[in-house]
Amino acid sequence: MSSIELKKVVKRYGAVDVVHGIDLEIAEGEFVVLLGPSGCGKTTTLRMIAGLEDVSDGELSIGNQVVNAVAPKDRGVAMVFQNYALYPHMTVRQNMEFALRPLRLARSETDRRINETAVLLGLDELLARRPSQLSGGQRQRVAMARALVRTPDVFLFDEPLSNLDAKLRTQVRLEIGKLHKRLGTTIVYVTHDQVEAMTLADKIVIMQDGHIEQTGSPQEVYTRPRNRFVATFIGSPAMNIVPATISDGKLVGDHVSVEIPERFKKRVQAGQKVEFGIRPTEISLLDGAEQATATARVEVTEYLGDEALLDLRIGSQELIAEVPANQCPAEDAEVRLRFNPEALHIFDAETGMSLENQAR
Amino acid sequence: MAYIRKRNRKIFLIFMMPAVLVLFGTTIYPMLYAGYLSFRSYDLAKLFVPRVYVGWANYREILSSSEFLHTLIVTFKLMAMTLSVQLVLGVGIALLVTQRLPGMGVARTLLLIPMMISPVIVGLVWLFLYFPELGYLNYFLSFLGLGPYAWITSTDWALWAIAIADIWQWTPFVMMGTAAALTNLSPEPFEAAKLDGNSPFDVFWRVTLPQIRPVLISLMFLRAIDAFKIYDIIFVLTKGGPGDTTEVLSMFIYRQSFTFWRMGVGAAASFVSLVIIVVLITLFFKSLNRDPHQA
Ligand SMILES: Nc1ncnc2c1ncn2[C@@H]1O[C@H](COP(=O)(O)OP(=O)(O)O)[C@@H](O)[C@H]1O
Ligand SMILES: [Mg+2]
Repeated sequence: MSSIELKKVVKRYGAVDVVHGIDLEIAEGEFVVLLGPSGCGKTTTLRMIAGLEDVSDGELSIGNQVVNAVAPKDRGVAMVFQNYALYPHMTVRQNMEFALRPLRLARSETDRRINETAVLLGLDELLARRPSQLSGGQRQRVAMARALVRTPDVFLFDEPLSNLDAKLRTQVRLEIGKLHKRLGTTIVYVTHDQVEAMTLADKIVIMQDGHIEQTGSPQEVYTRPRNRFVATFIGSPAMNIVPATISDGKLVGDHVSVEIPERFKKRVQAGQKVEFGIRPTEISLLDGAEQATATARVEVTEYLGDEALLDLRIGSQELIAEVPANQCPAEDAEVRLRFNPEALHIFDAETGMSLENQAR
Repeated sequence: MAYIRKRNRKIFLIFMMPAVLVLFGTTIYPMLYAGYLSFRSYDLAKLFVPRVYVGWANYREILSSSEFLHTLIVTFKLMAMTLSVQLVLGVGIALLVTQRLPGMGVARTLLLIPMMISPVIVGLVWLFLYFPELGYLNYFLSFLGLGPYAWITSTDWALWAIAIADIWQWTPFVMMGTAAALTNLSPEPFEAAKLDGNSPFDVFWRVTLPQIRPVLISLMFLRAIDAFKIYDIIFVLTKGGPGDTTEVLSMFIYRQSFTFWRMGVGAAASFVSLVIIVVLITLFFKSLNRDPHQA
């Protein structure tokens, strides 16, 4: 087990910076997920930690030792690659054996470790097979077994589930979570899938364009997004964003007007241009005489079983609401809405930064 | 051919005729004629003696002659010398030029030049290099205090002199095929090995080599078939000499046919050589099918 620390780490290809000086601390035994859209620099960051890419600038430490110039094999890391990277001409057993070779263990110890790992990952029946004779899920487990058998201090995963079908993905995801609980090894896990990130992570690192947008627990990044990017990236369907101006203690947008929640009152000025955000689940339909936040027309309804998604139009603005399926209105109906003020987010229109009091 | 309508069929045949005739005249007819000759006594030096049918006599003579056996041994010896060096050098250079280092693209192209030169020219180039008194090779070796060596006129060196010229010409072929195979390997397993700390030696023997093995087998068989027919370089450099040191199978055939004018014996030797090549090719395809990683 090792901690990892990145200080102002930069990756440059030629004149182009693809990772712009990121700072990140990963504690011993922590499960950290790098999450972000494709091309944001997740893989590059992971490969720098592994030592497969040089760090162009800044300092990278593993276990309190600066490793910028340390060879990959001496960093105590093992990696599970996106396409598994198994040796195609070797059996499952030989794949694991080859990973152990540099350790020069006694024959009996090698066998003990291989058998133990194979049992742990349910591969004991498959040891004599080649990768071409395995299913996608099995190959994935062999890739993990090969990384695991070395008992590394740090595990690196690069989108390990992206080649699996949806059902298998859920299953293997659970297995990875269990594995971490059991072994307690530090894990850095790259994905663009927020469900994987939310379910697995102790800490989520949200990246965009080579920058870290926010670091925090799944709950933190969901409930207290630091900016509009994080707010809309986390959560499905995405948070609704409505442009508005501050006027008379209200957020006034196109055909919407919302009372400013108490906690924001001191943070805004009259006339300020902002954007407020509301998650689809925090919009409810009114049937009584209560004061409505807005009136909307239902354009499309999507029935999901317990819930229904409503595509709503308010003036020029489109919103999505998620309501209990039994409240689902007819398409083209006019509905009155209430936005839960406790769940309202306000962002500066220019910087996109949240006006909420931030922990960090 | 279903698309050829009936009324077009005549025109089709007329247009196909020249190609068929050329193929027949240059390949099939000579081969059939050689087959016919191999069963006759046909001596160009005795023009007025009729070409009588002699049955298997020509074949019997060849297969029982120590001279033919000797040329066969020389041929396989030369093949073993050139193929082994071409394999080691070709793979070595391929490993080098597939590294991501500056200048490797250019190097890869330049290294192909020997392959594009006609073997006769290759022979002549090396003849200048090997020439005992005037050759560059002895000139340069003299600076090292070595030589002069009688490259092509000594029984110790002549076969190596030929092998070196052939190696020079055909190593690029092995290099090119191997480089293509190496470039096709997916990089991730190598990165995994790098993380695990496997030695370069282990990685080469246990990861690289097993994966390019099928390609190497193909390359070696193609080289073997070519090496079996080697002729031009030897004709220019040594003409089979000194003595019969470098007398390979094709030199034997040439000599029987055009020095001794014994066309029947030459034709029979050609057919024996054809059979050996066919056996080689059959082995080749068998080994390809048997390859375990092709599944
Ligand atoms: N070898 C390279 N040379 C130049 N640019 C690269 C190289 N590798 C990656 N990039 C660029 O770096 C950025 C980040 O890539 P990557 O880390 O693979 O993104 P992610 O894994 O988040 O999808 C991308 O814009 C990509 O085009
Ligand atoms: Mg990636």
